Amino acid sequence: MRFAQGLAIFLSLLSLVGAGKAQSASLPLAAPLQMDEAFRPSVSRLAPDRIAVEWKIAPGYYLYRDYLAAKSKNGSPIELETKAGEVKEDPGFGTTEVYYISAQATLVGWAETVELTYQGCQDGGLCYPPVTKSIDTATLEISDLVRAPPTTAQSSGDPTSSSVWATRNAAAPSFALAADSSTTEVDKLLAGGGLPLLIAGFVGFGILLAFTPCVFPMYPIVAAMIAREGERLTPKRGLILSSTYVLSLALAFGLFGLTAAWSGQNLQTALQSSAATAVIAGLFLVLALSNFGLFEIQLPAVIGNRLSSSRRLGGSVAGAAALGFTSAFLIGPCVTAPLAGALLYIARTGDMMIGAAALFALGVGKGIPLIVIATVGGKALPSAGAWMAKVRTVFGFVFVATAVWMVSPLLPDGILLLAWAALAVTFGMYFAGLKVNRDIAAARVLARSAALLFITWGALLLVGVGLGARDPLAPLEPLRARAATVEAATVAKADFRRIASTEDLAAQLTAAQSEDKASLVYVTADWCVTCRTIERSVLPASEVSAALEDVRLMTIDMTSADPKLEELLRSLEAVGPPTMIFFDQQKQEIDGTRLVGDITVDSLTASALAAGNQQP
Amino acid sequence: MFTRRTLLTSTIAMGAFAMLGTHRALAQQLTQDEVFNDKDAPVLGNPEGDVTVVEYFDYQCPYCKKAHPIVKKVVETDGNVRLILKDWPIFGDVSIFAAQAVLGAAQIGKYEVALEALMKTKGKLTHEDVESGLTDAGLSMTEIAASVNKHKAQISGLLDRNYNQALAFSFAGTPAYVIGSSIYPGVLDEKGLVDAIAKARKTRKP
Repeated sequence: MRFAQGLAIFLSLLSLVGAGKAQSASLPLAAPLQMDEAFRPSVSRLAPDRIAVEWKIAPGYYLYRDYLAAKSKNGSPIELETKAGEVKEDPGFGTTEVYYISAQATLVGWAETVELTYQGCQDGGLCYPPVTKSIDTATLEISDLVRAPPTTAQSSGDPTSSSVWATRNAAAPSFALAADSSTTEVDKLLAGGGLPLLIAGFVGFGILLAFTPCVFPMYPIVAAMIAREGERLTPKRGLILSSTYVLSLALAFGLFGLTAAWSGQNLQTALQSSAATAVIAGLFLVLALSNFGLFEIQLPAVIGNRLSSSRRLGGSVAGAAALGFTSAFLIGPCVTAPLAGALLYIARTGDMMIGAAALFALGVGKGIPLIVIATVGGKALPSAGAWMAKVRTVFGFVFVATAVWMVSPLLPDGILLLAWAALAVTFGMYFAGLKVNRDIAAARVLARSAALLFITWGALLLVGVGLGARDPLAPLEPLRARAATVEAATVAKADFRRIASTEDLAAQLTAAQSEDKASLVYVTADWCVTCRTIERSVLPASEVSAALEDVRLMTIDMTSADPKLEELLRSLEAVGPPTMIFFDQQKQEIDGTRLVGDITVDSLTASALAAGNQQP
Repeated sequence: MFTRRTLLTSTIAMGAFAMLGTHRALAQQLTQDEVFNDKDAPVLGNPEGDVTVVEYFDYQCPYCKKAHPIVKKVVETDGNVRLILKDWPIFGDVSIFAAQAVLGAAQIGKYEVALEALMKTKGKLTHEDVESGLTDAGLSMTEIAASVNKHKAQISGLLDRNYNQALAFSFAGTPAYVIGSSIYPGVLDEKGLVDAIAKARKTRKP
């Protein structure tokens, strides 16, 4: 059947090009047969666990003894008994054992499905690529192994270019990472000035990161901790409490890094699971209710009740330490370039101490602005007085807002908007009813403006719920969108093809290569705070959509991780979301284009253009 | 020129269409330009020649190696033929290794030396055979390895394209030739090759 088809095509080819006789006239041999015509295998059972395969071989064709192989479906080899073949010795050929006319092999061993590979030639004419047949050992049925598409065809024994040089030389997967991908910030700083520079550098990175959304939850926690001190608050006390909190946070950071490197697991995923998020959000709600005066808890005492009963001051410090440690769960998982660098460094060199020291320094850096604020705040705030109760209530609202913000990826947009609306209206009403000192005109004006502002915003949000808005900062967005639907297309998360394994990645990169396109792999997750910022304010920018126009977009969604996703991340040497990796048209990552953590319109555009303009 | 290109493309597409339904998209993408003018595939013979001979081959395929001196002789005698040898490694890892090594050597200006060295080997090869073949020809495996690693994306890309083209042409195995707008599976003797080139030249200049 296949041969007839092949012949028909062959004839149509010849007639099309008007070369009807060229083939037969010029060849000393008949045109080669199709592989399945030249070699016809059949299977019979010799014993329950012994199966014989016999090939009928067309005259003038031969099979190689060396290339006969059998394996089970999962790749473990199955022994084949074969007889000695005819020794073919030829000046141009070397010495090989081959079979003419017929060949036999006996399968010794057992598997439900046996994959049998063989290879042969037309004597003097042509050599066939290896062919693999699947044998059902129960029914003795032989079938073609479905040929995988090119470039991912290794499983069927087809040749591909990848990975072979790798077995001889350094790792060479189907794509190439940038030469600088293994040069992390840790390497650079260590090379530049040793351990002191490394520590200083990471403290510096930490300070810069202190003002990103990643670290945002730390502020209400520390502010509440300080505010609760009430009349006991002094600059010194603010310094002690906040430093304890920060050092403990940094220590947790270092330990997390070690654990991550040790276990090879992506801790992020565990820490940022929906359950963990919900529990922490619940904790914030409890704190908020306490602040509203529903019941009385001392914040640090939540964890260190026994300690505080005996030594009140010491108890607060221990509480601060406990809070700091647990806060690392909140902010630790935010991947940033320095964090990724430190984790990769640990994974690559196994040098735990250097990596952990870098992470500790990073944590300290993140906390330094907090320490400054707490210390200065302790001095600046008037101590004691009725205002303290009001501040507590305001912090209660901040806690509720934090809780809502944390669970926002878990809630449908409508419900979320409704929650924001309720919060805004309630906060507004609180200000409206606030009894301020009548002598201070400014305080009255401020309270009323705040009331008006929040109630109006709450009302707009309620309208937004009705309109189906998504963004609490733009509740009337649907109206605007309806008015201008023909605006230039912008890039959205939906434009990214989701890939879930290294095979997916290889296939997508090959597709991009055949379209002569560069590729962008975006590692993201629903729980990734920075990713949401990127998707909301970076991707929709017109510069970005222009730069990504000829780029194949893929996303690795780590929202619920599985081993294949973990493996994929490892193969890309990526730590977690948000990470953007750019490949040029030749599947090569370009030096200096990888983006981790805080990604801006400018950095994304620059990397995309760099990858797209690489022409060898 | 345009009509001939269209002709070859549609022939290829038709052949692959019926034969390999799954490779339809691939076949439609294949053009004469990709087969004859791959920027990463080294050109032998006369680069300005009016006829192009493309041979899909493997360094372990005995008939490819046996026929190679004939191919070279015909191309040299003609003087107006571009010769492109496209690696289609069908004999496993060692063949891919050999192809990568020679293409790596090409990137440091040693294509012909490396190619001829491996074409002189006999039959089945081991990694060591490939290495000693290349070093005996005065090449340094260290330099070649460095070049392969430096250009691995380019080399893998070329090998992937060669492989896809061989599938799209439905070639049974190696060697297989594309000469002008005809395809020739299996080894060609001297007369066969000369005739095929003459025919390609004739259809080119009607």
